Amino acid sequence: MSKSTFTRRSFLQTSLLAGTAGGATLFGPWKHTRVHAAASDKPIRIGLTHDASGQFANSGQAERRGTEMAIAEFNEAGGVLGRRIDAVWMDTETNPQTGTRVAERMITRENVHFLVGAIQSGAANAISQVAQKYGCIYFNTNSSSPTEAGKNCHRVKFVWDGNGENFSKAAARNAIQTFGKKWFLIYNDYVWGQNTNEATKKVALNYGAEVVDEVPIPVGTRDWSSVLLRIQQANPDVVAAAVGGDDFKVMRQQVRDMKLDGKPAWINNQQDWPDIYGLGADAAFGVFGTTWYHYLDLPGVSDFVKRYQERYPTTRINVPGNVTYNGYVAMRELLRVVAEVGSTDNIKIIKALEGRVMKAADRMQHHDAVIDADSHHVQQTIYLAQGNPKPKDDTDYFQILSSSDPDSIRADAGKECKLETYADTPNYDQG
Amino acid sequence: MLLNLIPHLINGLALGLLFALLALGFMLIIGVMEVINLAHGSLFTIGAYVALAVMAPDGGLPYAFMEPYYALPAIPRYLIALVVGPLVAGAVGMGLELCLRRTYGSDPLYGLLLTFGAALVLEELIREIWGSSEYYLPVPQQISGGFIAGNLIYSTYRIYAAVFAAGMIGVLWLFLNKTPYGAVIKAGAHDSEMVRALGYNLTRLRLLVFGFGAALAGIAGVIMAPIWGIRPVVGVDAVIPAFVIIVLGGVGSFWGAVSAGIMVGLVVALTAAFLTDWSLLSMYLLLLAVVTFRSRGLAGKSSVLEA
Repeated sequence: MSKSTFTRRSFLQTSLLAGTAGGATLFGPWKHTRVHAAASDKPIRIGLTHDASGQFANSGQAERRGTEMAIAEFNEAGGVLGRRIDAVWMDTETNPQTGTRVAERMITRENVHFLVGAIQSGAANAISQVAQKYGCIYFNTNSSSPTEAGKNCHRVKFVWDGNGENFSKAAARNAIQTFGKKWFLIYNDYVWGQNTNEATKKVALNYGAEVVDEVPIPVGTRDWSSVLLRIQQANPDVVAAAVGGDDFKVMRQQVRDMKLDGKPAWINNQQDWPDIYGLGADAAFGVFGTTWYHYLDLPGVSDFVKRYQERYPTTRINVPGNVTYNGYVAMRELLRVVAEVGSTDNIKIIKALEGRVMKAADRMQHHDAVIDADSHHVQQTIYLAQGNPKPKDDTDYFQILSSSDPDSIRADAGKECKLETYADTPNYDQG
Repeated sequence: MLLNLIPHLINGLALGLLFALLALGFMLIIGVMEVINLAHGSLFTIGAYVALAVMAPDGGLPYAFMEPYYALPAIPRYLIALVVGPLVAGAVGMGLELCLRRTYGSDPLYGLLLTFGAALVLEELIREIWGSSEYYLPVPQQISGGFIAGNLIYSTYRIYAAVFAAGMIGVLWLFLNKTPYGAVIKAGAHDSEMVRALGYNLTRLRLLVFGFGAALAGIAGVIMAPIWGIRPVVGVDAVIPAFVIIVLGGVGSFWGAVSAGIMVGLVVALTAAFLTDWSLLSMYLLLLAVVTFRSRGLAGKSSVLEA
């Protein structure tokens, strides 16, 4: 019978040592307390912050289909780092307060590794503030206020959609030459609308436009008749609208009712696919920007559409649009980077994302895209489109007029971005 | 300047008539039942969605089964929508009244909470059936598009909707004042116990009035759908102005509701034109201004449903 070496003294010594080490980990500076044991085989949890109610409910669910499709494809291929990927979704209700609450809960109670999803810029900004506080990487997939990768940028936040300034630059010069210099500006009176309008105005004035009037429209406006009468009385050549979500849908319908969709010319900063799907090619009035279209004549597009249709056979939007696309490519890139880095450590992943070049063929766009290292904004191809006069089927609403390479439409807003240093960004790894 | 103002005044009047139509069903239910029906917006939404199903092949009914029906011209389908939308909203309203009965005689908050809960349930049901996508109610060509008046183009449908609303207001007034049924409803609003003592079935009266008020919400939904669009939350856009109008006009007053509706329409239209960022706030400021000096609202002194 061997003599035990495990004495009361050694037990106390070991316990004290272990307690000190554990305490140092758990009760040290807060920014380090969310580092858990790495290289585990537990699932990688991704917090999906997509709207299911409020002004952008429809778009929120469209981007959710994109992010979940990417996750499903990775899981079917064996996951990432040999680990399954779990998605946790909560409705952010197109509401910044809810965005804050959801982000807090996702990080502190659901222990997600990453946060992905946004349509409304106010909500995206709120989520990113919480994410930065903890160091959790956040992908803003579809909110396009120039401030998101400008003055509201964060080290943990990456912005995947083209912003209002990109779209304005793509459209403005062409519109002035084609339609005229007398411009009437209308915009939703919240962060995206205000900043997009500012960018549009700046670009238009640079190209020689005269702004005859500028009208902020409260979010939730259902009756546009008074504004439309005012536009008629001002008789502009161009109306540049930065109006989104349900407000845009109502506005478009009332513009068509009043037969104002021909003259003046309408420059609609961006038209998201879910906002017009089901309404026919006529709904795509005016000239507008987009990042992707399901009839782009590029390799991989038709296969992507087919995979989407197989995965979502009963969804009403039976072809993916720009919102779903942005969600898909953002999630796909995140998971690829996790695989490449071999870890879920936030700083390692941030460094791998900064300056990352994504090949045009891989992204199903015309030009290579790059994640700007200074603003974390994905600089990508912007397409200018209008309603399709000769649709090839009942989903072919857009006629793509041109594609702009990222450098020609780069936003100035990125210059206002001051990212937190790595040292000021808490280390975050849920293990 | 004055010439510039005229189109906005006409626009405000048209909008006001629509607001008044929106508020009348709400007014009727408050007047007779003393229940603030927060599900009024959901009943409005049901009217709009049912009209969509009746009008549009992708509106929710099985197309293969309904194909011969959708081959009908737009006008008869629209007339059917104008009847079926309110009927379904009315039936749902009557179902809601059956649930409300247990709250009669209790704290009014119970009724308020029940109708609020019903609004949430109905919204989710709508989402389950039709999804959260946006729809537009197609209307016959004869009442769609725009027409030119002077240098301005105006929506034909808005003029039609305003005339329809004015007609409905007139018909409702005649019903309440010139028919025995209207007399019973008004009496029920004055003193329901006396009506019961005279031998009328008060339970049935309440059921019918609630159904009638809900049907009016449904009609407003059918009429407003081509302007506001159709989505599950559109009822919220309806119930808030309706509530403001009722308080502004004086609870239970028919002409108070109509005049308050027109006032709200004019104020909203004029602020939307000239002080656009105040347009959503303007109706509340108007309410604040009126109730500060006249807490019963514009015509609140008159008893309920006084014409």
